[in-house]
Amino acid sequence: MGKVISMTEGTKYVKSGMMLALGGMTLYRRPVAFVNELIRSHHSTGLPNLLTLLAFTASLESDLLVGSGMISTVRSCYFGLESFGLAPMFTYFANRGEITIIEETEASIASGLRAKLAGIGFMPAKAWIGTDLPKLRPDVKTIRDPYTGEELMAFPSIEPDIAVIHAIKADTDGNAIIGMNKGVDEELTLAAKTVIITAEEIAPKLPRADLVAPLITAVIHAPHGAAPTSCYPLYPINGLSILEYTEKVHDPESWEKYIQEKLLKY
Amino acid sequence: MNTIPQKSSEITPDEIMIVCMARQIKDGDVVAQGIATPMVTAAYLLARHTHAPNLYFMSAIGQGICREPAPLSITQIEKLWLEKSLTNIGFVRASLEGLPTLTPKEFFRPAQMNQSGNFNNIAFGKNYRKPRLRLPGTGGIPDVTTYSSNIYLYVPRHSKITFVETLDFHSGLVYKPNESQFEGPKFLVTDLGQFDFIQNKMRLISLHPGISLKEVQLKTGFNFEVPENLSTTQLPTKEELYYLRQVVDPLNSRKLEMLRGSKRKELLRRIIIKENAHEK
Repeated sequence: MGKVISMTEGTKYVKSGMMLALGGMTLYRRPVAFVNELIRSHHSTGLPNLLTLLAFTASLESDLLVGSGMISTVRSCYFGLESFGLAPMFTYFANRGEITIIEETEASIASGLRAKLAGIGFMPAKAWIGTDLPKLRPDVKTIRDPYTGEELMAFPSIEPDIAVIHAIKADTDGNAIIGMNKGVDEELTLAAKTVIITAEEIAPKLPRADLVAPLITAVIHAPHGAAPTSCYPLYPINGLSILEYTEKVHDPESWEKYIQEKLLKY
Repeated sequence: MNTIPQKSSEITPDEIMIVCMARQIKDGDVVAQGIATPMVTAAYLLARHTHAPNLYFMSAIGQGICREPAPLSITQIEKLWLEKSLTNIGFVRASLEGLPTLTPKEFFRPAQMNQSGNFNNIAFGKNYRKPRLRLPGTGGIPDVTTYSSNIYLYVPRHSKITFVETLDFHSGLVYKPNESQFEGPKFLVTDLGQFDFIQNKMRLISLHPGISLKEVQLKTGFNFEVPENLSTTQLPTKEELYYLRQVVDPLNSRKLEMLRGSKRKELLRRIIIKENAHEK
């Protein structure tokens, strides 16, 4: 079956210390089934850990991961649950200084990915100068435009070790359709060393695709694999389920109880 | 909630704010729609009904450019925006190409704001590693505010928590001391009044009905300019109220930005249940 593997095999690609990128945006097309399997694995083996999470915008899928203790560092320009409020586990650990935040914005992640795709060490952009962001990210340097002399941010290249992207449909070669709400998935696919697709449906041979097979490492069949986030046009977000998460989860103890109840029913 | 005088007892602060925001929209504007800001959406939709039928929208959800806006929704919002999009450009292009070239009009909601209109959406508390409250993050605010002068602000709960002398973190750069062409935010509306910014200083334009100058001063952590002939905010017209309540936002999504705690959760649950019933 070409690149098709099981969910258990898929999560083994994630090794301790890696930079793990998650596709989709906020509450849309997030690889929740993959995250759940990672949590199961972590629960029984204690691995992987010390991961750096990269999510252009991070939401429920990322909060679940942060709750598990697998994530030591977060890189995102927004970590929250949209109208559902703050992401409880991210907020809990961030307030206590128990998770490292690499402060990002739209331009720093977008430029970092573009630098990687161009095969260069940085990408300049108009951003941040005059705000506190350069102080919070002393690793990010500025550069002078050689033509105008203007000072610009020089955002460093971002290369995720692994990217996991949920697709509407994929074929056995790894070609995949992600639809119109792309987020930064096209760039993640080009930038990451390993790319795993979880897909609602596996088709024999797609005539057109958003992400193409030579970039894809493996494909996992995961029907309803983004729920309770959406997978347009197949299903919308499950509002009541996300609301339930915000009502039940507020610290490590309640997170554990929620996971036991929802996820670890082997 | 603020007290509203008897004669307009049915009009709530969120409605006054949205009407003020809608009046800032001009026909032909390109406007940006962020995430989880129903008051902003309501203002754009209202403006389209009353005086600005020709707007273009840049939507974060779907990263689309749209001629028609999506209606307000919690659970269906992705589908609604995607089905209105003329094109979808992805977030890398939206932030590095779309926003810098189209510089859309955008309403931001500061968590903290100082006298000159600069603001903070990173965290409360001076200790970055252990803040009093970590906030979701800044999205594209520290990018857009360095090059755009098309910045509008709104604050649903005017208080000394938001209006501070010194920011804990500075992530929204509206007033740029080195660039004289930028005077700060174009406009600010709160549940107490309307403001603009002149020479690096916030200035009260009008008080909402029933609000006293004293109340605004007590709830603001710095001095602001007060003009000699202080006016009262023009109340929403019958037409504006009709469109806002009956057409734009019959489920009261706008009030999600005014409420907190269990009242907010109850409203959110009611909206989701109504939307789910409507879908079936």
